[in-house]
Amino acid sequence: MAHPSQLGFQDAASPVMEELLHFHDHTLMIVFLISTLVLYIIVAMVSTKLTNKYVLDSQEIEIVWTVLPAVILILIALPSLRILYLMDEINDPHLTIKAMGHQWYWSYEYTDYEDLGFDSYMIPTQDLAPGQFRLLEADHRMVVPMESPIRVLVSAEDVLHSWAVPALGIKMDAVPGRLNQTAFITSRPGVYYGQCSEICGANHSFMPIVVEAVPLEHFENWSSLMLEES
Amino acid sequence: MSPFSALRVAGLLARRGVAVNISVRAAHGHEISKQEDMSLPMYWDRKDTPLPDIPFQKALTADQQSLKQKELGSWKNLSEEEKIALYRLAFNQTFAEMKKPTQEWKTVVGGVLIFIGLTGLVVWWQRVFVLPPQPHTLKEDWLAAQAKRMIDMRINPVEGFSSSWDYEKNQWKK
Repeated sequence: MAHPSQLGFQDAASPVMEELLHFHDHTLMIVFLISTLVLYIIVAMVSTKLTNKYVLDSQEIEIVWTVLPAVILILIALPSLRILYLMDEINDPHLTIKAMGHQWYWSYEYTDYEDLGFDSYMIPTQDLAPGQFRLLEADHRMVVPMESPIRVLVSAEDVLHSWAVPALGIKMDAVPGRLNQTAFITSRPGVYYGQCSEICGANHSFMPIVVEAVPLEHFENWSSLMLEES
Repeated sequence: MSPFSALRVAGLLARRGVAVNISVRAAHGHEISKQEDMSLPMYWDRKDTPLPDIPFQKALTADQQSLKQKELGSWKNLSEEEKIALYRLAFNQTFAEMKKPTQEWKTVVGGVLIFIGLTGLVVWWQRVFVLPPQPHTLKEDWLAAQAKRMIDMRINPVEGFSSSWDYEKNQWKK
């Protein structure tokens, strides 16, 4: 989760998110450079003592400020496309989970081996235990084995929703009647929070997603427990 | 009047720099100020176009005309006052007068600060009379318990929140 008043990204919990962080650093640096240059030029234009300010044409600078932006755009596009194709690589998931969006909760189905399914509702603010995170905690978390490729099939049972976990670099729209696939590997164990990212009605802000990455034995214990409960 | 002749009149009037409704206003007894003829060269004082197309004073008195005649000879014969008078015939303001700072910025800054102050007043009033009480999760003891829980959960341990906590010594890193 983000700490209060956080401006930047959360630490990456998956390799794809690490790549996105570095790409963002690269692109933001370019943006800062361009903005600084433009601001400097504006200040210089406004504060000059020169009176003859209007040159009507100049071929050389026109060529420069056409070619240079094109080069900059290529320098941004190449890493961007690299990550795009990276995200689309064939992977061999160890587990497939279906995340179904409802108004206003998520339900998860682990049907690879047994028939495990459960709903995940937000814990209301008045029911939080001390120290829990307002609007982020859910009663049942989506537990996954850490450091294993996981496939998530996202869909919805009523209106559009979106399944998003920023620390994993994932956002996938939940469209009724459609299966959207996304995949991730968690680099480290931990609890990762997200919120519904497509407007879906009155409680759109109150249906969070909680992914808990644990060692495989813990995952197996958890799934046995959950099967017994249901 | 047919539409074509109305258009011709409008076109002729526009070329003279006169809006068509001027005649309408005059017909209703309103005053009209003199219209500039935009097709002739104009005089204006601008730092970045320093030599206007026409001199400032076009109509010259007899004295000014004789001064203009004297200007045609050697300029060494002109006195200081005559040179200044010739300058003032050609130009309205000197560069120093054009560049003289106005005090406008004080009005602008003052107006901005006044409106920011008024906005602040409105915001304070809203906080007292409109907004609901803050959630209990923003109280100090809850925030402390939340921070402890975030550290225990290793939230953002790489460069973020938990990376500033020293787990050996159980305190924030110095």
